[in-house]
Amino acid sequence: MSEPTVTQDLIQHTEQPTEALAGVRSNRPRSLWRDTWDILKRRPIFWISLALLVMFLLMAAFPSLFTHKDPSYAQLAKGMDPPSSEAWFGYDLQGRDVFARTVYGARASIVVGVSATLLTVLLGGVTGVLAAYYSRWLDAIISRVGEMFLGVPYVLGGIIILGTIAPAQTSPNEVMIMAVVVLVLAVLGWPILMRIARSAVIQAKHQDYVQAARALGAGPIRIIFKHLLPNSLAPILVYSTITIGSYIGAEATLSLLGIGLRPPVISWGIAIADHTRYIRTGAHAMLFPALFLSLCVLTFVMLGEAVRDALDPKLR
Amino acid sequence: MGRYAIRRLLQLIPVLLGTTFLINYMVWQLPGDPFAGRCGQRPCPDAYVNAMRSQFGLDQPVLIQYWHFLTNMLTGNLGVDFNQVPVSTTLGAAWPITIRLALMAVAFEAVIGIGAGVLSGLKRGGFTDNIVTISTLILLSLPVFVTGYLLQWMLGVQLHVVEPTVSPEAPIDELIVPALVLASLNMAFTARLTRTSIVENLRADYVRTAVAKGLTNRRVVGIHLLRNSLIPVLTFLGTEVGSLMSGAIITEGIFNINGIGGILWRAITGQDYTIVVPVTSLLVLVYLVSNLLVDLLYGVLDPRIRYE
Repeated sequence: MSEPTVTQDLIQHTEQPTEALAGVRSNRPRSLWRDTWDILKRRPIFWISLALLVMFLLMAAFPSLFTHKDPSYAQLAKGMDPPSSEAWFGYDLQGRDVFARTVYGARASIVVGVSATLLTVLLGGVTGVLAAYYSRWLDAIISRVGEMFLGVPYVLGGIIILGTIAPAQTSPNEVMIMAVVVLVLAVLGWPILMRIARSAVIQAKHQDYVQAARALGAGPIRIIFKHLLPNSLAPILVYSTITIGSYIGAEATLSLLGIGLRPPVISWGIAIADHTRYIRTGAHAMLFPALFLSLCVLTFVMLGEAVRDALDPKLR
Repeated sequence: MGRYAIRRLLQLIPVLLGTTFLINYMVWQLPGDPFAGRCGQRPCPDAYVNAMRSQFGLDQPVLIQYWHFLTNMLTGNLGVDFNQVPVSTTLGAAWPITIRLALMAVAFEAVIGIGAGVLSGLKRGGFTDNIVTISTLILLSLPVFVTGYLLQWMLGVQLHVVEPTVSPEAPIDELIVPALVLASLNMAFTARLTRTSIVENLRADYVRTAVAKGLTNRRVVGIHLLRNSLIPVLTFLGTEVGSLMSGAIITEGIFNINGIGGILWRAITGQDYTIVVPVTSLLVLVYLVSNLLVDLLYGVLDPRIRYE
């Protein structure tokens, strides 16, 4: 990320908002990330989403900080009791505490969302960079294969793959159930990331500094890691933050259909799926997990958009 | 243009072949017994399994099965399902409902999405703009089923404004809420896309020229700005028609609508793959063809775009 600093310093004096900030440390070289941070730290929406993110991560890592109740302890006599001072979110069909189950549900959702995104970035990033760098026939093949996977809409693809794999698992443990869902989300989602990485690298490929590096005798690995990857990092980072959010929603959708996560895993999607039929008599058992789910998706989408706006000030 | 259309059409063929093969392979070849649980509590007798396997060609190699599937599809023969009911009969009743739902959803997307986008784009940073930005953000982060159940609970169960579920004939007035739910996500995307496009074009030279010529504000916005800004929005709406059809699985499930999504859902839970494969293949075809049409339409709408 060190190449464009000289030109950026020149541009800076013509740009008003950065000039005001640059006063204190104008002698230091400024990078894209430094500018982004300066813009981000003045935006309330960034701090709000960061606070929510910290809360959800704490909830996922240490759920006992938020509740001392056992999410699996069922008192059938209290089944579907509405919210009270004893149980803030009421009890679910089996008489389990909805608040405790909602807090414990954060872990599965976030683990699935983050690991599916990491796998997507790995798959899509590698194929995208390869396609753009070697172009010609490799590009054609990767692009066509990507289109094949994009042609299967994701709910449909998820249903087909999970509908056939999931029943075949005889006695699955929690890790296996989550791994299958992660795999499905990544397999269906990689082409979009491949396209983002591909177009970012194609744009960077013809820049003078890449030609210069090539003229100096740099090999493909050095060019890809030192010059091309850092330049495609910004769009990939923004897209993957938003993707974490949409994968959390997708996991809940698949769980709702009964083919995503299953008990013994505790998740928001399962909690919603279990209580959709009781919407007339006890909506609380469904609404509170849905609220947390939406808030969690919102956190990641909001964070991704704040970072995108800061990285790409063109549209403000 | 003609050569471009032919090249795109030719490119469609390998993608379509690949996707349908993927579907066939995933459904028939992945682990799991298609006849498990079809005979109640006991395992199916060998005679039944063998008869079914030979009827649906499961005893043949993968490629030959795929070839049979292709020739059947190309001759318009969708086959029969595990209960020996022709798939085309089941589909015939369901298509009109899903198409009606999808068209209504697209109409909502176009009217509400474009309207909100134009209003917020014209006065950037204003009150309307902030409202639109925040509400699209919220819509984008609500999973479709949450919106669906929430509206069903609020409007149907609490306020009794609409019926919580749709009757079998699915008349238009009962489909309004499901169509809004189906459209919700794309509505937010449309609004944002329109806003970005309007904001970009407001700075364009031709808009400045139009203002300098002394044209009324209405004419500048209505004729010059809108026509140019709506091109990407129209293409987005077109591409999404295909994916709306499959998105309808969730919406049709929530509101109990007897469309394609409902059929597909019942076929998957009942593990009747003979319905799943042709229906998903048809949906993929619709998706790919609508993408192609939109790409070709792009050049008609915007003559500045040249095809190589």
